[in-house]
Amino acid sequence: MNPHASMIITLSLIMGPLITISSNHWILAWTGLEISTLAITPLIAKQHHPRAIEATIKYFLTQATASTLILSSSIINAWTLGQWDITQMSNNTSCAILTTALAIKLGLAPFHFWLPEVLQGTSTTTALILTTWQKLAPLSLLVMTTQSLNTPLLLLLGLMSTLVGGWGGLNQPQLRKIMAFSSIAHLGWMITIITFSPKLMLLTFYTYITMTTAMFLMIKLLETNKISMMMTSWTKLPTLNTIMILILMSLAGLPPLTGFMPKWLILQELTKQHMFIIATMMALLSLLSLFFYLRISYCATITLPPNSTNYLQQWRHKTNQKPYLAPMATLSITLLPITPTLLTLL
Amino acid sequence: MALSFKLLDSVFLSSRCHRQNALHPLLGPLLTDCISKLYSSYRRPGTSPDNTPPWKMNFSFEKGVDGIKKHFGLLKKELVDHWKGPEGYRLEEYFLEQTRVVCEFRSQKELDEWVVSSDAEIGGKSEAYLKLGKNNQTALLYGTLNTEVPRDGETGYSGYCAMRTKLPKGAFDTKKYYDWSNFNSLYLRIRGDGRPWMINIYTNPYFSHQKDDLYNYFMFTRGGPYWQEIKIPFSKFFLSSRGRIQDDQHPLWLDKISTVGFTLGDKVDGPFQLEIDFIGLLNDRAHTEEFAYEKYERNPKV
Repeated sequence: MNPHASMIITLSLIMGPLITISSNHWILAWTGLEISTLAITPLIAKQHHPRAIEATIKYFLTQATASTLILSSSIINAWTLGQWDITQMSNNTSCAILTTALAIKLGLAPFHFWLPEVLQGTSTTTALILTTWQKLAPLSLLVMTTQSLNTPLLLLLGLMSTLVGGWGGLNQPQLRKIMAFSSIAHLGWMITIITFSPKLMLLTFYTYITMTTAMFLMIKLLETNKISMMMTSWTKLPTLNTIMILILMSLAGLPPLTGFMPKWLILQELTKQHMFIIATMMALLSLLSLFFYLRISYCATITLPPNSTNYLQQWRHKTNQKPYLAPMATLSITLLPITPTLLTLL
Repeated sequence: MALSFKLLDSVFLSSRCHRQNALHPLLGPLLTDCISKLYSSYRRPGTSPDNTPPWKMNFSFEKGVDGIKKHFGLLKKELVDHWKGPEGYRLEEYFLEQTRVVCEFRSQKELDEWVVSSDAEIGGKSEAYLKLGKNNQTALLYGTLNTEVPRDGETGYSGYCAMRTKLPKGAFDTKKYYDWSNFNSLYLRIRGDGRPWMINIYTNPYFSHQKDDLYNYFMFTRGGPYWQEIKIPFSKFFLSSRGRIQDDQHPLWLDKISTVGFTLGDKVDGPFQLEIDFIGLLNDRAHTEEFAYEKYERNPKV
């Protein structure tokens, strides 16, 4: 890409969510959201493949619709209450429209249909940015408005997202679509707890970013986009193959890995709020996600010798190093013992 | 909402078929979804535009009920298939398969999944027919090509015929796709008469500005009594749109395939025959090419 264009895009991509996070006025928050949408659009369409263009159009249309809804909700709020402060949103209609708009932005069920298609149509690095960095701005808006949001609506969105994330990813052979459904499921968990404990939601978000980044860097290193190609990953990176399995189990939320920490704390908080049925349903629905994570791990291991593979063993090119993979993988596996420290830090 | 359109759709078929009798069996399956039937964009060159007002309809309750039953049945099947495995195959089968037969021709039902068309739609004189071959083991596409241009003041060329699978539809006429990402070649067992055919793969894109995108490659038949087994890697397919090969070439993505078709348009008048035993997919381990055409920037800025 032209270095000037690349510089503008990267700077805008970084500044967009930061503007939204640091804003107090709705117009500035909306500006930040629009900047981040516009900045990532050329990144998604970078390779000009018809499917990449399709993914770009889908992303742009959904995000633009959501931004419009956010603007309209803030205008309704300003019209009725006379102020534009993000934290003082008290109009019920505005809150409902805002929740819907942020659900579209994040890809929560039932507004999730764009996410697997967009992630499938674009490159792995852009998919990583879409699932991690682009979630920052809408989640920060949710945290800022959490006292005025409608808890039952958020619980419903969270439950549906966990269900859809689990069900949709079940028999998906394409890795980026699986990561999309995994993202939907994790966001479901985050949304469930946001009105009870925004700090816990932020902790979940940070652990989710760590684990997802580790997984995407692994996918990029393996240069694969189907589960069936994972069958020969042990020939390329035997040690990292094992660590990938641990990262997947961490994403699934199994103890003693990091991913267990947010799920445990969320279930504890829901129980404290006497929401036993919802807590049980969330725990059961995360079993669906566990199933497809286990499936990827299974495919990465079933072709260890003496079994035969269906795929040619991959050539080991000159090392395609991913310097951030090591710290991300370590963090996504080993953070559970320091849970008390993390809770106090937040 | 999809249901109301489906009911209207059954209504429209009965109202339009008197006008487009020859065209409807060929055109109907080619339209993407029932909503597009309301805005049917095909106009036979040389005819006046169709101005029937949309409120003229024959309402049919039984068709509506049958439609509801059929679509809920399809929805249930889709959910069960999703649980069973990718595209309804069990996971082990899906990952370990190296070959798959996509189309076999053993009964009229399998022939009904194909649509045959020729330049008769634009007023030409070619004919094309599809029937089961000997012992119901093959499909025979036969007919006559006639390159005489129809005199309607608009058409410049004529003389083609084509055969294409119908667009796969899920429950409530949603688009369904095939995932062929485990394979890298198309395998055809055919017996032709020496004519060159073109194979077209359509990926049924989401947005309408890409609806004419088609991936093509050639199939040269040998003629003669012996069967010909042709392997065409998917990396060889080039992108074209409305018959024009695109400058900006991209490889065919195999995770969302919609239809496969054959076209004959070699500007030679006369009869033709193509007998197809089966169409399959193959994961050719020896084929490592990713894409056969230039991927580098053709006019780099120096």
